[in-house]
Amino acid sequence: MTQTARDTTVIKARNISKSFGKFQALKGVSFDIPLGRIVGLIGANGAGKTTLLNAILGLSSYQGRLSVLGLDPSRQRSTLMRDVSFISDVATLPKWMKVSEVLDYVASVHPKFNRDKAMDFLSRTKVPLARKVRALSKGMIVQVHLAVIMSIEAKLLVLDEPTLGLDILFRKQFYQSLLEEYFDEERTILITTHQVEEIENILTDVMFIRDGKLQLQASMDDLSKQFVEVIVTAGKEDKAKALGPISTDTIFGKTRCVYKDKDHETLAELGETRRLGLADIFVATMTGEE
Amino acid sequence: MSTFSALIKREVLDSKNGYIYVPLILMGITLFLVTLSSLGIGKTIYLNGMEADNIHSLADLMERARAEDPSRMSAGITLLYWASTSLTWIAFPFVIFFSLLGALYEERRDRSILFWKSMPVSDWQEVLAKFATPLLVAPLTFLAVVIVSQLFLALLFSLIMVFQGGAILPLWPVSLLFTSWLTFIVHYLLWLVWALPVLAWLLFVSSFANRMPFLWAILFPVVLIVVEGMFMGTHHVGNWITLHLGAWQSSAFEQIGGNINGPNDALKIILGGVQLEGFTYTISSVQFWIGLAVTAAFLFGAVQMRKRAL
Repeated sequence: MTQTARDTTVIKARNISKSFGKFQALKGVSFDIPLGRIVGLIGANGAGKTTLLNAILGLSSYQGRLSVLGLDPSRQRSTLMRDVSFISDVATLPKWMKVSEVLDYVASVHPKFNRDKAMDFLSRTKVPLARKVRALSKGMIVQVHLAVIMSIEAKLLVLDEPTLGLDILFRKQFYQSLLEEYFDEERTILITTHQVEEIENILTDVMFIRDGKLQLQASMDDLSKQFVEVIVTAGKEDKAKALGPISTDTIFGKTRCVYKDKDHETLAELGETRRLGLADIFVATMTGEE
Repeated sequence: MSTFSALIKREVLDSKNGYIYVPLILMGITLFLVTLSSLGIGKTIYLNGMEADNIHSLADLMERARAEDPSRMSAGITLLYWASTSLTWIAFPFVIFFSLLGALYEERRDRSILFWKSMPVSDWQEVLAKFATPLLVAPLTFLAVVIVSQLFLALLFSLIMVFQGGAILPLWPVSLLFTSWLTFIVHYLLWLVWALPVLAWLLFVSSFANRMPFLWAILFPVVLIVVEGMFMGTHHVGNWITLHLGAWQSSAFEQIGGNINGPNDALKIILGGVQLEGFTYTISSVQFWIGLAVTAAFLFGAVQMRKRAL
């Protein structure tokens, strides 16, 4: 039993801190991420998202205890990379290489890379294989990188703003193939993006991070039950306010209240209820409590 | 394919301008110049009073040389081929210098380090591949290009000889040439193991410099030398660097100089015995082993820097 319990935790973080000079980018972050989840790490710029991801990927040092797939990322990065793949910044592919040379290189150093699969992904794009990365458009470079990453049989995939610079069509396509062709219960995906609306449908879990602290970790199911938006029926405003909404504003002359952890039937009496979008939940959480 | 050979292949691809195109271009220039001048012997160019000696063609020149001393012909021809192709080697130190300086610097500058680090390749392997490739692959590609140009020259001279009616066989001192190529490799390796600490310094600079690794690589030792000279009146740093860049040879080969008389002696010294003496001198030299330790320290530093680099 303990064996399976340990095996299903992909990332175990305890009290992770990281400072750059006097600036404390991470202030004791603790969490577990189990196998088979798609977790969105959401926070404002400078909240510590990338610092946290870099620690998980073994790209930078940190204080605290961190175990990724049972390994210590700061000391065992190269071993870890057999089962973890990531895109950590836009346009990190070597610009002097031809696309085909990138594939050759990955095929020769990565035991879990499937070149045919990458070719299949690329065949759906207009990327010319004989062209140097330097000569590709920004969007095409991302396409190549995603094709490489999606063709690695990794247990953990970390994506930091993976679709920056891509048009809507490709972004939709990418998340769709991520779900349909890549993700399964044996894999975990950790993802950050500013386009929260685009990923909220594929996420199973979210983590909110602010000023280097983990503000909230919850499953999407719980969140959508927790946060409810009510368009208050005229005349019931006082009642609505008495119930203690975490935010109130007026839209088209109607009062809109957001509630957290309130009984759904009580709320239904106040007016029309809706589940709150992830972006709104984020804003509500970050501004509501302090 | 093993990871390390994949890394070497990547490094060669990355620097194929320096490793392949530069020697090829220099070979082109060399062959062009030699072709021009050899066609012109006795007609447009007067070399050192050759004309006065009644030499009107390459065949005349060869005939005269053989009449002078036939035993020196092969050695003379071999030296001639090496001398004619020496232009190619001018670029070699620059290629090594800039390859090492850029090795761990460029990947940080263009952020591709984040891609390399997403692969299951350790920082040790990366650093060693980036150290080994310029030092081992570049001399081989340069030598290959030089060999091709030497063979081309032999062919060219043979053709001229056919037209001018001289003996072709002396133009092909095959076994001497072959020996000289092998000897070159051995002598280069000997030079290399001595130069390792200086070369490792370049790679170390490339691992930490945020800007202008060139200035770091040159200025830092220069400042050390000047400061040492000004405040202590000694020259240990400068001597140490020149020792490792080649001055060790004056101690290693001190018995050899002095009685070089003609191409036979010169070639014998270059080809025979020297390497063995150099080798025994090297492994018994404390300075050499200190240099190796310094090399290891710089490489260790480069690995540590790369681990932290983003």
